[in-house]
Amino acid sequence: MSFEHLDIILIGVAILGVGILVSLLRLFLGPTSPDRVVALDTINTLVVGMMIGLGAYYEEVVFIDIGIVYAILSFVTTLFIARFISTRKEKEVGP
Amino acid sequence: MDLSAFLYDAVHFIVLLGIIGSAFLVVKFKDLVSATIALAACSLLVSLEFFILQAPDVAIAEAAVGAGLTTAILIFAIKGTRRREEY
Repeated sequence: MSFEHLDIILIGVAILGVGILVSLLRLFLGPTSPDRVVALDTINTLVVGMMIGLGAYYEEVVFIDIGIVYAILSFVTTLFIARFISTRKEKEVGP
Repeated sequence: MDLSAFLYDAVHFIVLLGIIGSAFLVVKFKDLVSATIALAACSLLVSLEFFILQAPDVAIAEAAVGAGLTTAILIFAIKGTRRREEY
């Protein structure tokens, strides 16, 4: 079995995808909301990594720009949720 | 089967599995902030799916609306009401 360099990029992207599934498990299990926010932020970072890897696989420069835009927007989203959680003190149990 | 095609299908399958799982979580959660977080994850993965299907303009619109606007507006709405959904 011989590996092309594009195959190696795809292997890396597939490993990042497995990481997304594991983070979804944490988003499912996580007992409190901060756990879920951290899981969402991990998924954000992994998806940006997948977008960059797939942009290298397709050999298109435009696809890298989408990764940059997504990185900025996901940061804003996480900031909003984190501010809401930090300002509102409330007891919570389970999903 | 070619190795490259197999890996491509594997990535595609993983992303679709993540979309289904996070959409199930949106319905399941009774804590509204958790449901909003799951919705953000779902729209994130849908954007990645558009990306894999080589539609970069649709992916960038989905990223702007799904990740940026929807989550912020829903958080503002939850701030005005109760946090937990009643059974």
